[in-house]
Order: sequence, then C-alpha cells, then structure tokens
Amino acid sequence: MACASTSASATWNMSSLRSAIPSIHARSASSVHLSTGTSSSRLKLSSSKVPHSFVGLAPLHPLFSLSSPDSTSFEHCFTVIDNGGRFFAMRHGKRVPKLNRPPDQRRALLRGLTTQLLKHGRIKTTRARASAMRKYVDKMVTLAKDGSLHKRRQALGFIYEKEIVHALFAEVEERYGDRNGGYTRIIRTLPRRGDNAPMAYIELV
Amino acid sequence: MSRLMEPLSVGGVIGEVVDNFIPSVNLNVTYNSNRQVSNGHELMPAVITAKPRVEIGGEDMRAAYTLVMTDPDAPSPSDAYLREHLHWIVTDIPGTTDASFGRELVSYETPKPVIGIHRYVFVLFKQRARHSVRPPASRDYFNTRSFAEENGLGLPVAAVYFNAQRENACRRR
Repeated sequence: MACASTSASATWNMSSLRSAIPSIHARSASSVHLSTGTSSSRLKLSSSKVPHSFVGLAPLHPLFSLSSPDSTSFEHCFTVIDNGGRFFAMRHGKRVPKLNRPPDQRRALLRGLTTQLLKHGRIKTTRARASAMRKYVDKMVTLAKDGSLHKRRQALGFIYEKEIVHALFAEVEERYGDRNGGYTRIIRTLPRRGDNAPMAYIELV
Repeated sequence: MSRLMEPLSVGGVIGEVVDNFIPSVNLNVTYNSNRQVSNGHELMPAVITAKPRVEIGGEDMRAAYTLVMTDPDAPSPSDAYLREHLHWIVTDIPGTTDASFGRELVSYETPKPVIGIHRYVFVLFKQRARHSVRPPASRDYFNTRSFAEENGLGLPVAAVYFNAQRENACRRR
C-alpha cells in the first residue's frame, strides 16, 4: 500500500480500501443485542462508546501516563487528558483545590506555604489553604525520608530556601522515622477579623 | 467532660506537656482584665507582658494548688530542642481564690516568641500539703511531668493554653 502509484489507472478498488479501514459495525450489532437481552455467546462490546482512533505504529511516549489523574504534581510537564477527551460543564468528582488562583499562582502559593511551614513549624492560614497544603508537606517529608541525591534535588526544586531542605533531610530520620504518613495536624480557630475567613493552624505533628 | 478536653488533645497539650486527665477545677486566666485565655486562641505579645489574673475554683480554701506556665515550643515549634521553657510557678494558692494569694516560686517571665507560633500552657495541680513544692534548677529543659512526679503533684486538675507569635509576624496569609 505504501508504494507510490505510478500506474496510469485511476480507478480505486473499493474492496481493498474497505479492508484497510478498521470496521465499526460491531456497535450497531450490540445495540440490538442489548434490547433483546439474550445472554448467549455474543460479542461483548467494550465500554467506550467512541470508536478507537487510529494511533499508528509509533510507541507511546513513556512520559504520558494515561492512568494517573494527578496533574498537579510538580514533576509533571505534560497535559494529561484522562477522560477520553470529553469535557464537562460541571466540576463533578474533581478533587483538586483551586484556591481561586490560576495554576501557576496556585503552585507558587503552595510552594511558599510549605516552605514557611517547614521553616516555622506552625503557621496560621485559611482552612482551605491548610487542607490543600497537607499533600505537599507530606510529599516533602517523604522525599526527605528517602534521602537520595535525586530526591534531594527534587525537594530543592520545590522548596524556595535550600537551607530548609538540608535541615529537613538531616533531621527527618529522628523525627519521623517511625511515623508512616500524616506528618501534619490542622487545628481550626477563630475566623479572621477582616473578611471572616475561617482560619486554621497547621503544624508539623 | 470530653468536650473540654478535645481542644487540649487536638492542640497537642495532652501528649506533649501533660498526660490525659479529668478536669475537676475551674481555671480562668485573664490578661489586662479583658482578655480571657481560651484554648487555642491567639493573644498579642503586648497583652501578655504583665502577669495575668488567675482565678481558680475548688471546694474550699484549705486545699492548696500549684500553677505552672510553660512554653513547649521553645525556641521554635519546628525544632523545640529547649522544650519546655518555664515562665511562671505559683504555689500554695488557696482554693476558690486567685494566684495573687499564692507564693510565687518562679517569677513571671514575659513570653517573647521569636520564631513561629508558640503555645503557652497553664497547668494547675492540687498539692497534697503546703510548702511541698521546690523550684526547679533552671527555666530551660523543663518537663512538666517530671516536675509533678518530683513534687508529688500527680495528674493536673485543669489546663488551658493560648497561642502567640511575634508582633510583626505575617498574619494575613
């Protein structure tokens, strides 16, 4: 099929074309099966209703992880479309806290907050920010528990001050060696006077 | 009973400073005659420079109580190697009165939180006998539990704590 056609004949052979295209006739056949409801040895259709597009023979890029829903991790550089390219008008089921900021500012806010928490040990902030931060603080402590050079460099890429990273890597063994996860604690407190925002203390446990 | 203890255990006072106890005596700590200390609330450093008015409950005036004020987050909550720092001890407080009737064993030291947000804990113990409490050697490396053991005070009867940070700390974030 890849040979350049130098032949003079311009007529195509429809049967050869039809055999080259992947067939999608199984869809219409299954709708008939579902209405009748018989459970003999029919072909069970796969759950997706969209016919699979032709992806070609190129290998999948190793960095594309089709199954990871986490698109806010700091080592991730590519947009992951994990719902088959569908978009919805609502936010149903999406558990990423947006913190009223665009993604770059959100990332910077969380980096700054975790830096300050690791520096001071206890900070007072709004409840939404405190509960959004927990994941990143735990991630930093987990990197420190691993302790290798690669993890140290990953932590240095997230925390704004390098002395804090080195201090964290030095002391995490004796502080959190026995604890598996849950390295922070959130204590709710009085609302802020200026705008009545619910506040919380978040501290390293 | 457990509703009173929840802020103390959530705030880490029960666990780091004292063991779990049953509160049996009322404890009211008031700074500047209008700022009452409630568990976990923040006070400004300007308010806590002078010693507070501590009113205790109890049944009668024959019982003697000891009040201890410590900072379990000295010098910084993320790295509290001087835990705890002692601020104030008053002994032989008669029941149903306030701390000015007691004997000040360790004078009141103004809290100066430099790094981070510190907790300042007031613990009230019931004494078995008067004049049975001896002052500790130094203010640093204080341990409330061992202090109670050495002086035969047992479990506390009341506790309250507040938070404080330095005057120009960032509060808007």
